[in-house]
Amino acid sequence: MLLICPKCKTKNFLDPYPFWNFKGKTKCAGCSAIWQIQTAGGAPVSGPVEASGTADLLPGFAERQDYSPISGPGLTRPAPRARKESVCKPIPIKQNVRGKIIAGYPLKKDDLVGSKAKFMVTGVR
Amino acid sequence: MATQPTSKAQSFEDFCRETFNPKKEFGKPEVLKGYRVLSCTQYILGPSCASYLAELGAEVIKIEAPRRGEAMRHTTPFNEPFLYPLSKWVPERGTGLGFLGANPNEYFISIDFHRPEGQALVKKLAAKSDVFVENYRPGTFDRWGIGYRQLKEINPRLIYCWLGGFGGWGPGRVRASYDILGQAQGGNFGMTGKQEVFGGAPSKHTIWLADYWGGMMGATQVLAALYWRDHVSGEGTFTEYSQVHGVTRQLEYALPLYGRHGITRERWGNWDTQLCVHGIIKCGKSSYPDSENPQEMEEGYILISAYEDKDFARLCKAIGDTTLATKYAKADIRVKAESQMEIYPALEKWAVDKTKEQVAAVMDANDIINQPVWNSKEVANHPHWNERGAVRWLDDPTYGELLHQAPAYKMSATPPRLKWSLKPVGADNEYILGKLAGLTRDDIKQLEEQECI
Amino acid sequence: MATAQAKVAPWPAIPTPKPEEVYAGLSDQAKEYPLFLESIVRQEHNFEKPEALSRLRVLDCSTRMMIGHWCSSQLAELGAEVIQVEPPGGDPLRKLTPFGRQEYMFEDWETGEKVGGQFLHEMRNKFSITLNLETEEGRRILKDLVADADVIIENAPPGHWDEWGIGYRQLREINPRLIYCWVGQCGQWGPAKDKPGMLDPVAQASCGFVHGTGDPKEFGGQPTRSALWMADHVGGSSAVLGILAALLYRENVSGEGQFIEATAAEAIIRILDYSWAWYSMDGSIRPRYGNWDLAINIYAVNPCKDGYMMVGGGHDRLWYRIWRTVGNEQPAVEEDILGDPHLREVADRLAHDMQVKTYTMLGEWLKDNARSQAEAKLGKQQVASGGVLYVNEVAEYPHFKYRGHVAEYDSPHYGKVLYGTTPYLQHKTPGRLKWLGRPTGYDNQETYRRLLGFTRDDFEKLQKANVI
Repeated sequence: MLLICPKCKTKNFLDPYPFWNFKGKTKCAGCSAIWQIQTAGGAPVSGPVEASGTADLLPGFAERQDYSPISGPGLTRPAPRARKESVCKPIPIKQNVRGKIIAGYPLKKDDLVGSKAKFMVTGVR
Repeated sequence: MATQPTSKAQSFEDFCRETFNPKKEFGKPEVLKGYRVLSCTQYILGPSCASYLAELGAEVIKIEAPRRGEAMRHTTPFNEPFLYPLSKWVPERGTGLGFLGANPNEYFISIDFHRPEGQALVKKLAAKSDVFVENYRPGTFDRWGIGYRQLKEINPRLIYCWLGGFGGWGPGRVRASYDILGQAQGGNFGMTGKQEVFGGAPSKHTIWLADYWGGMMGATQVLAALYWRDHVSGEGTFTEYSQVHGVTRQLEYALPLYGRHGITRERWGNWDTQLCVHGIIKCGKSSYPDSENPQEMEEGYILISAYEDKDFARLCKAIGDTTLATKYAKADIRVKAESQMEIYPALEKWAVDKTKEQVAAVMDANDIINQPVWNSKEVANHPHWNERGAVRWLDDPTYGELLHQAPAYKMSATPPRLKWSLKPVGADNEYILGKLAGLTRDDIKQLEEQECI
Repeated sequence: MATAQAKVAPWPAIPTPKPEEVYAGLSDQAKEYPLFLESIVRQEHNFEKPEALSRLRVLDCSTRMMIGHWCSSQLAELGAEVIQVEPPGGDPLRKLTPFGRQEYMFEDWETGEKVGGQFLHEMRNKFSITLNLETEEGRRILKDLVADADVIIENAPPGHWDEWGIGYRQLREINPRLIYCWVGQCGQWGPAKDKPGMLDPVAQASCGFVHGTGDPKEFGGQPTRSALWMADHVGGSSAVLGILAALLYRENVSGEGQFIEATAAEAIIRILDYSWAWYSMDGSIRPRYGNWDLAINIYAVNPCKDGYMMVGGGHDRLWYRIWRTVGNEQPAVEEDILGDPHLREVADRLAHDMQVKTYTMLGEWLKDNARSQAEAKLGKQQVASGGVLYVNEVAEYPHFKYRGHVAEYDSPHYGKVLYGTTPYLQHKTPGRLKWLGRPTGYDNQETYRRLLGFTRDDFEKLQKANVI
């Protein structure tokens, strides 16, 4: 459910699975206001009513009206991650976890022999 | 490496170790040596079917759209890891890891099926092939003049293998499908996941189960058809496999139960509906508390299996719970829903201050079957899977060293094997089209410029 | 479990559509291809056609696990003569029934013997004989049976049959053409090899499947097993590939059988797509991602008005069509999405934050649409979608009834049984069901007579000695 904060208009994305049938408090990622809400079947049943205390469940993500993103500890719930850091863009990788060379980074036509990287053929990086 | 056998059982294990030695695969013959397969496929269902034949030694020729290849090359987890180049025309982009595992050992050419020159090339190749695998929308290849009806005139011995979601006939024939749509509509999705009574939801199987296992079912049909062709009839055939149909085939007791009693099989989470104790419990502690990887920071889980009365008695003794031992001594009492709702929380209470390895140690000491839930790193590094070659370090000629999955089964005399992982789009155009279609280097250059191949 | 209804309606509750209805209003050209397909693969034609594996004799000696029975079912459906060799009293798997409920079992009209749906569903096209391999006499009889068998399947603890003198090394001396297949969870050798009593989901937990399935911890989830003994199915299918490959090699080249080992865990490892390479490239450990996808957006199952809904569309063409469909009812949602610079590029949509936004906004539309409504509306834009169906819905789904994914077999032993049919549709040698279910040892007399020439006396003596 999309919760547009009545106070600061931040778009708080209350993601489907945990918030489909929810009764409790969440927190606006933009201004930290606590909101008591109830949903059923993904639709609002009551609220948002301003409340005090701590949130039961944080939004999955949030953004301002101009699409600028808001996320982070204490604001939104953490993303599942495969490593300590999460990049979500192509990562150039030159060697694998054993230190052996791999062709994990972008190449140019000059770098190729046929359809392979030159260094794969010659063994020299 | 093998020590002197002290008992017959140990010498059998060494016999198996030697018989199925992953390092000795390449010295042995291949079942499908000399057989040729065309793989006009995309995503996972069709490609994986052809790949099981490639593992057995067939010359499998994968045909993709020119320059950029098929859609699965453009999927990769979190958009992060890629293998370069995508093709010699587009080296600044890579192939995503979604493509990995579906097309090992194959030769990669590119042909535009929409063009008459492309269709003519396919016909030339099909005339010399044993198997033709495709998973395009039903009727597409027929319209292009390269469907079963047309190709069997050119090559009556061809095995034409079509795979898809909903099949080519019936009310749903026009629907496109994906793996998890097959899981959802076939029925295994709705029964997997946390119990409804605990507020759970249906859960997909993390792998492309309907597609990868569907490919095995397709390959089963192909192997049976090859046997029948080569040793009984001399004829090719057409096979149709619907992956939704495959999922429905797999539902165990659900359909007989529904048909006889009108009962719909519901989710039962990590427990088992027919055996108790035979379920996965949470252990309270992480096995790697100092790790910075969130996957390792999580607490562990473990499967405990003690469904026979004597095993359950030993389990209760191991965790020091005499109440449980008395109340649930008999299997037919234990297996009831109400009983399970008491037994597993009691086990989790006992495990709340332990890692999965600590729980496993107690179980092992008491001869109780257990299996820690291993994450992908634990599996990748485990000596059992590495010794058996189920995961192995592959020195791929194009991309370098990758940890890679191996064929799913082992054979003593003619083992399937892994040669390379994948290649860039069109990497084998010159080799294959020169060898099989009689094209000169100039022909190929011209067709490549026109993006016909 | 819901309680049983007092009276169960016959299946199907709604009649299966007829071809005239299915293709109504289509031009001749439009229905030509599907009708051509129907003419060559409809299951009504099955029994006019030969079977690919009718020359094969298979002894399925596996017990307790599904993997061996699944494997022999595939061969049986393709025409092999499969003889299930059970311990006296039957395979213990016969006794399994959900929550121990005896009333859910199927009772043989003649003998009153009960069998659970789990075993029944996989006991198709197979003969049942009993043989006590714990006795020396029983093992001697097995050796006699093996002399003229093509395939033997067993799942005893590693080395057990070898100790008994009926392992691969011994049986190949009796019949060099024998294809000997061991199936299990983790293997006959290696630090974590099979122990007696191990059953799926041991395999599922040992290979990374369980860890990777279910909601992430951040969504309140946990590692999740498949409801089914799914690794056994995939492992069984791998075993079939090995057996058929061995058959081809024997007939083409060598005239000899070989030893095949198939494990449920390694079959799943084979198909866990990018887990291993991803780890080797940068140490990534595959996380759970619930019903969303790490590599494709939109490609997920999310809650909807009457259940759960799968919507798929990984590239631009489908992305815009999905939001156009949503925009027909919720224009503000479509506007927001189209205006978002962070969602413009296909690759940018994969970040977790973007997936949260995508599915939250999609949820605004899904909450007002039932599965069939959502599917119809998205279908107009050629977007692939469909609801999560439960077994009762799968059984009544018109497309599946029409194609015969679900059928009813009228068993002379158990009455009408609803089951999932074989997906092996083919022009020349389709798979088929000949019978479903077989009481324990039903084929003892006839099988032992025709294969080993046992007289009635032989038979009685062996039964008394608990060898059969």
